Parts: sequence; C-alpha cells; structure tokens
Amino acid sequence: MAMIRRALVALGVAGAIAVVLRVRGSGGVPPQTGGWRELSGPDLR
Amino acid sequence: MRIAVVGLGAVGARAARQLVSTAGVTAVILRDIRPARVDEVAASLGTAAVVERPPYTAPPEADVVILAGPAGTHVDEARALVARSVPVVSVSDDVSDVRALLDLGPEAEVRGTTVAVGAAFSPGLTCVLARHAGADFDVVDEVHVAKAGTGGPACAVEHHRSLGAVGLDWRDGGWVRRAGGSGRELCWFPDPVGANDCYRAALPDSLLLVNAFPGVERVTARRAATRRDRFTARLPMLRRPHPEGGPGAVRVEVRGRQGTARAVKVLGAVDRPGVAAGAVAALTAVQLARPERRYLGAAGLAELVDPVPFLRELAHRGVKVAVFGDV
Repeated sequence: MAMIRRALVALGVAGAIAVVLRVRGSGGVPPQTGGWRELSGPDLR
Repeated sequence: MRIAVVGLGAVGARAARQLVSTAGVTAVILRDIRPARVDEVAASLGTAAVVERPPYTAPPEADVVILAGPAGTHVDEARALVARSVPVVSVSDDVSDVRALLDLGPEAEVRGTTVAVGAAFSPGLTCVLARHAGADFDVVDEVHVAKAGTGGPACAVEHHRSLGAVGLDWRDGGWVRRAGGSGRELCWFPDPVGANDCYRAALPDSLLLVNAFPGVERVTARRAATRRDRFTARLPMLRRPHPEGGPGAVRVEVRGRQGTARAVKVLGAVDRPGVAAGAVAALTAVQLARPERRYLGAAGLAELVDPVPFLRELAHRGVKVAVFGDV
C-alpha cells in the first residue's frame, strides 16, 4: 500500500514538473546577431 | 480572362479584390452560399464583378476557379472542375483537403489541367519562399516553416483545431507523426511580429514541400501559439473566432550545401494573413489562366510558380518579403 502511495506521489510530482516546464519553458535563444532586410531590386532579378 | 471565386470569406473577398485590379481579368465571378455576402462583396468591386447567387447546380463557367470556401468543401468542387479541365486554385490549409487534392494530380494531368494546392499565406507563400531560398543551394537538406497569426474566422478555427491534432514531420525519407502543441521552438519573424514560440500542429506545408524538394532529409512546419491556445486546443473553442486577425508572419528556413560548404538561408514575410493569402491566390489564378502554363497535375506553389517574378509581383501588391542576415 505504501509503495503504491509513493508511486502515485512520484507520478504527481513528475506531472507537476512537466506542466511547469510545458507552460513556463523557453523555446530557445533569440538570434544574437543579424536582422531582417527587405528583399528588393537585385534580390528579385 | 474570367476567374471565379467560390467562397467569399476573408481570403476569397481579398482575392476577388486583387483580381478586379489585375490587367487582363475581364470578369470575376462571385459565389458564396450566403446570397447577402455575394451582393456585399460585389458592391465593393465594381463592374468586373459577376454575381452568381445560390443554389448552384454546376461549377462556374470560368477560365480558372479559386476555391476559398471552408475546409472540407474543396475536394468535391475541385474534382468536378478537373473533370471539365478547368484549372483550380485551392486556398485550403486543411491536411485532409491537401492530401485529397494532391491525389487529383493524375486525373488533372490526363485532362491537361492544373490544381494549385494550398495557394494562400501558409501554405502558399511559404512554398514560394522555400523555392526561392532553395535556388541558392546545390543540395537542399532541410526546410523548416513557421507561421504566426490567423486570417478570418475559418482560419482561427483551423488554428485551434490544428494544435490539438497530429503534426507531420518529414525525417530521413519517412513521415513522423508528432503531437500537436509539442516541439516548442523560438522563431524570429520579421518585425513587427518578432519572436514567437512555435509548436508542431496539423499543417500541410510539409506535404507540399517534400514533393517539391526530392531527396530532402527534413521538413517541418510549426505555428505560433500562446499557452492558452495549447491548453485549450483539445477543447471546443471557448469563444467565437474573431472576424479578422491582426498582423501575421511566415518564416522559412532552408538548409543545404553550396559546393562543399553547409549554409542556411532564412526568408520571411509580414502581412495580415487574409490579405496576403488573397493576393497569393489571385496571382496564382492569373498564372494558371495563361495558356503557356507548364505544370499539369496537382502541386503546391513551390512546383508551380517561378518565384522571382511571383515575389516581384507580390511586392508590387504590397506583400513584402525579407531575408534574415547581417544588416
């Protein structure tokens, strides 16, 4: 019985951590250099 | 040329507006299951608009037909048009629609006509950008597409539904099914949209791009979503979809080899998705109406259009494309 209870608690904690990571986690690092430039003239020839 | 637009929602109405201001288009036939909507759109278009009110017993008599109705309605209409050898432009971004439309390819080829599949903002412009970026490479290994924003209410419903469905990634020659809402990646779109977390979703871009780049190793498609979007994706929509979304964006990253070196090219565009989708659909229809069109069968825009003149004409119509790099 105690083992089942411990397993359920462990599952609950793992689930809570997964939810926090899913909601609060970051998808990556923004680019550190460069930027957007409009395609024009020579780029479209 | 006579071009018909079936379905006058956010995209269809914009496509019709683009068409009436296009040289060579003599008539734009308008169809929608809502008679009042047909009259409303026709009133804003002038004399080139030809009103056809429901009920409809036969396909429209036109040189090209743009299908801009709700997802799920495109395949039967396209099949009837292909049987009459009429070129079709579908703006559907529904995976089932895209698959079924691609399956019409052999019949379209036999009948000497073309089905342009996914000719909107994403897919559509994304396919053109991938083709344009891919021209810089000797070998294209990877194509990664991301989109942000929605057009009209049908697009918002599709956004909600796609996050709760299975996404398709192409990996090493096979399809990998991944849960919608997974695979978070921070994608940097052109300003003013900027950085957005993007996730896998049921998006058809990969289906179209794999065909366009034989031998490509990886193709993925993601869409920007908020935390609320992801948590509510498997529930019914909690509120009515908005009539028109704000600015949206697409981003296409192509990786490959230039000689012996590996390289990356990133292209993007920002616009209201409904407006840009309408412009892409209209331009595609005009191209298909020309007798010298080359491609017979069903395909996405990466296989159908020459990207440079297409992007130049889009820029002329206000849809600007950007490249990410050193500035």
